[in-house]
Amino acid sequence: MRMDTKRPTLIDQFVDLGLMQLSNWRWSWRGMVVTGMVTPLLSALAMGALAKGSGPAAIAHVLTGSIVLALMFENQNKVAQNFSFMKQVGTLDFLATLPVHRFMVIVATVLAFFVLSLPALVVTVVAGSALLGVTLSVSPLVVLVIPLCVLSLAGIGAFIGITARTPEEAGSLTLMATILMLFAGPVVLPPDRLPEWLLRLSDFSPSSYAADAVRQVLIGPVTGRLWLDAGVLAALAALALWFTGFKMQWKSA
Amino acid sequence: MAEVVYEVDDLVKYYRGRAEPATDHVSLDIGRGEIFGILGDNGAGKSTLVRQLVNLLRPTSGVIRLFGEPVDRDPVRVARTVGYMPQSSAALNRLTVAEALYFVAHLRGLTRRDAVRERDAALETWRLGGIRGTSSSRLSGGQRRLLQLAIAMAGRLPVVVLDEPTNDLDPVNRKHVWEVLRAVNAEHGTTIIFITHDAIEAERIVQRVGIMRGGSFTAIGPPAELKRVLRNRMRLEVGFPGGRLPELPADLVYRRTSEDALVATVDAARVPSLLAELGPVDALDFRLYSATLEDLYLHYANGHQETDAH
Repeated sequence: MRMDTKRPTLIDQFVDLGLMQLSNWRWSWRGMVVTGMVTPLLSALAMGALAKGSGPAAIAHVLTGSIVLALMFENQNKVAQNFSFMKQVGTLDFLATLPVHRFMVIVATVLAFFVLSLPALVVTVVAGSALLGVTLSVSPLVVLVIPLCVLSLAGIGAFIGITARTPEEAGSLTLMATILMLFAGPVVLPPDRLPEWLLRLSDFSPSSYAADAVRQVLIGPVTGRLWLDAGVLAALAALALWFTGFKMQWKSA
Repeated sequence: MAEVVYEVDDLVKYYRGRAEPATDHVSLDIGRGEIFGILGDNGAGKSTLVRQLVNLLRPTSGVIRLFGEPVDRDPVRVARTVGYMPQSSAALNRLTVAEALYFVAHLRGLTRRDAVRERDAALETWRLGGIRGTSSSRLSGGQRRLLQLAIAMAGRLPVVVLDEPTNDLDPVNRKHVWEVLRAVNAEHGTTIIFITHDAIEAERIVQRVGIMRGGSFTAIGPPAELKRVLRNRMRLEVGFPGGRLPELPADLVYRRTSEDALVATVDAARVPSLLAELGPVDALDFRLYSATLEDLYLHYANGHQETDAH
């Protein structure tokens, strides 16, 4: 019997919880092939056919929109699904009885799903650009922008997963959020194809900032607008993850 | 009583929207190295009580102290001291058996090397070696329950709280669980608090029992002490083949335990005449016992109030 047990270091908590969450590949990889690879590529093909003849800007929007769609499916939706599942089957309760910090559970989950989403991201970027004939011009800032997109979308997913009453409700809410964010702004369509009111509305849609940032760092050119996009995504990620921690039932201190 | 591990003082818990308390002015001390069993009907408030003990629920009023410190003052201390087995058996069901044991042992503060040793020892103790690489989601209900128990005990913490540890288990595994719990308690002095519906088997190891009804304890004490109220009562089990209930004496109050069995608690003085009346009935199978913990549970769960015997 041990009376002098110690709380594991934050790094140990992060590594263990991250590895525990990475075990989700056992169920998530099949879904990833469908929602993270096939669906975005089919969307790219369909929207690309419609945008043919509208110029390279329209095609660039189709590609980056498909990439954002892959990120939404594999991060926002999977994280929501995972949190609502953990809540329903008692995993969160059980983790709360271990000497770990609640934010470490959230951060480890979000980052584990980011790692799990990388194959979908790479396939969508490479195959999507080849299918649409878009020449990529990758900026080093991609290593900042992609994690910021992932964190903000996964943060929204975590919040939905924690607040939804059932996994089914979480699934409906994430699907609605995905559709709204995909079409409420210049994500898959260029701004000149959208009515003015929708453009105003897109100022409140995280996917507009994500798509704009992704477009700049993968296709170019990178402009000063990138810092606005990055700032909004960072603020949204911080807010959503903080709210998730706030709403998460944990040790009753 | 030895050093007090848990002191529960006038604990009350109301759930939002419910008029009746789930925990109704519960006071209780549990000593170090004690094996304390909680019995009660569904909805009696057992799980609500233990969830408050491990800090998963905040009481409406009252205090719970663990080794003298209120549990809500330093929640991490509770997590470092108490191993918890939830009623749900699916908590870590995306990990393999070996992974779940290793990660929990390590997160409870063992070094990586010690966590590996702890994992291997737990696999052997709980007879899980043959399924060490199996994903928990693919285990049977009984295997999952054993894994949850092994996880609760991983890390050798001084206190464990187990919510229905023998649910879903077959008789062989139930016996094994009670034997392991008794051995752990004897060897390491681990304080064990558990909820069970398995009163007869729990009697083998329990040192003190609390019977809950309507959110409070109707009786607390060592089984032998509590059973004094039933000292003139005998437990009669009757088996009858084919599911056809035979004609029984009119004064026999019984409860069907299965298609082909019933159980009755009868006055000791009535036993000889009762057996004489039942004797001529063909193909009946009798067993007669002194009152068990289950009889005690039924006695108190049916509304008999007893002054708490701390």
